[in-house]
Amino acid sequence: MKFFDSHVHMVSRTTDDYQRMAAAGTVALIEPSFWQGQPRTEVGSFKDYFNTLIGFERFRASQFGIKHYCTIGLNPKEANNEKLADGVMELLPLYICKEGVVGIGEIGFDDQTKLEEKYLRIQARMAVEADLPIQIHTPHRDKKKGTQRTMDVLEDTGCDPRRVIIDHNNEESVKEVLDRGYWAAFTIYPHTKLGNERLVEILREYGGERIIVDSAADWGISDALAVPKTAAVLKENGTTMETIERVTYGNPLEAYGQSGQVSESDWEDAAGVDPSALFAGNTLFRGGQDVEEAMAQYKVIK
Amino acid sequence: MTLEEQLLVILRRTASAEAMDWLAQECATQRGNFVQRSFYYAFSGVSRRFDKRGGLQLQVEDEPQLTALVEGLSLQGWDQFRLGRVILLLVLAEQDELIFMETLEKLLGTADLREQAAIYSALPLFPRGEQLVELAQDGLRTNIVDVFDAVALGNAFPAKFFADDAWNQMVLKALFISRPLYQIFGMDERANVHLVEALVDLAHERWAAGRWVSPELWRSCQKFVNELALADLTRLLESKQPGQREVVALLLADEGSNEGVGALREQVADLIERVKAGDLTWDQVGRDFGKDSFSVFDDKQSEPA
Repeated sequence: MKFFDSHVHMVSRTTDDYQRMAAAGTVALIEPSFWQGQPRTEVGSFKDYFNTLIGFERFRASQFGIKHYCTIGLNPKEANNEKLADGVMELLPLYICKEGVVGIGEIGFDDQTKLEEKYLRIQARMAVEADLPIQIHTPHRDKKKGTQRTMDVLEDTGCDPRRVIIDHNNEESVKEVLDRGYWAAFTIYPHTKLGNERLVEILREYGGERIIVDSAADWGISDALAVPKTAAVLKENGTTMETIERVTYGNPLEAYGQSGQVSESDWEDAAGVDPSALFAGNTLFRGGQDVEEAMAQYKVIK
Repeated sequence: MTLEEQLLVILRRTASAEAMDWLAQECATQRGNFVQRSFYYAFSGVSRRFDKRGGLQLQVEDEPQLTALVEGLSLQGWDQFRLGRVILLLVLAEQDELIFMETLEKLLGTADLREQAAIYSALPLFPRGEQLVELAQDGLRTNIVDVFDAVALGNAFPAKFFADDAWNQMVLKALFISRPLYQIFGMDERANVHLVEALVDLAHERWAAGRWVSPELWRSCQKFVNELALADLTRLLESKQPGQREVVALLLADEGSNEGVGALREQVADLIERVKAGDLTWDQVGRDFGKDSFSVFDDKQSEPA
């Protein structure tokens, strides 16, 4: 089975994760721009971060046969530093139309401050201007109201809900998100977000239309295999294969495919993994270890 | 035809009519009123209009027509993305100096690999080239083959603007990463005695290690053949590696002042005849005996760390 993890922060993950993801069937992923666990203090840090997303991280994923896409944007936490945020707004136009950039994201609310709303609006307008999908981060605290407020702002800015993916939903937020015409993503993330058994019930109630499962794996306790693992749990609990395929592969592809920057042929026609390829002189396979050998070792360990 | 018209003709052979209309519109809009932000959108947005795997269809008459307009310009290895972006960069080149430099530096500082290749390929088309030398040298510091090639191959910028030390570094690095030297513009004209010394040292190093020595290494030594040691020429001739006899024939085709080369000349008399008949050239040696010279863009060899 093939999987498309439409939200995963690979800069924080090791090559072990890439190996396991590839072995588990993840063929493509999207890395949203986010904060990095602590606030950045210089605009230049964003530039280098964005350069990593379109450069080295894309290359790193390719060495494991995984296609890497990204969304570019200013996250709500750092939107509260106005001077920094203004600098990032000047930087964004240089990135958002690049090859493999499938949307503006992840943007939205955190504390739901005025400044967060200001930069959400600016970036939503930018997405409309550049004809790009939007990936929305919904707040952990006061989620239901925060999600409603996000949708109000987006609609006020002229965004088409069919081009917006609202992430980190739960049982309380999903109904209105779907009713208003948006894509609803569920992040399977231990402890703080959603366990995958809860998704069985959600899919039973809402079906698979416009619903997406992702891992949002990052630098916290999280699981880069959340999407394939959820597929397994759903199957054991009687979800149809058609629905499973839809929420773990077909839907994210369709939603972000609206950017014109991702299509199935990107990985179906791709050449094999080239372990000798170099990025700026770096190879990930030191000591002559190649991908197949690495995979075999992983299988043995498991 | 202007350069831009010529480039549009070539791009139109493989690109969609829709993409071509978009490009023409973008160029016209930016010419009317240059706005940095929309230029960024257009430059990166080439990836949204053209075919990401779309190549070009070059024809025999392209090269003479292009080089009549811009010395040494070759589109070998370019794709639709690169050519579309270079056409946009021609519009940038018309802007005033400050805007041009600021925009170019911003683009390069945030460019992905294919965008970098486009910018470096456009270097010989920009005004005030002497101000761009640092930037070109920076491009050569990459270990990404496509970026290195964009500066070094089919590009007259280095030959025109590089000082000898930068030129020599470029040629040596091209050898280290197995790039086809015959595609470097100005190879013969820019040969200099310091380069020859470094090349001979490199050959000695490779011989000592029992490694392959590209026959193209000797091309820059042609003008300085009288400085070459007889021992080196003899060693070349004794080498079993392909292309080395041809190298000796090319080096010794003209009777120089080297003492004692008569015997060597005799051993390659057949090939010297071919050189004199114009039937054996350095370009041909590069094409026939260079490492993987036909799969230039798949060869991701790097310098040793």
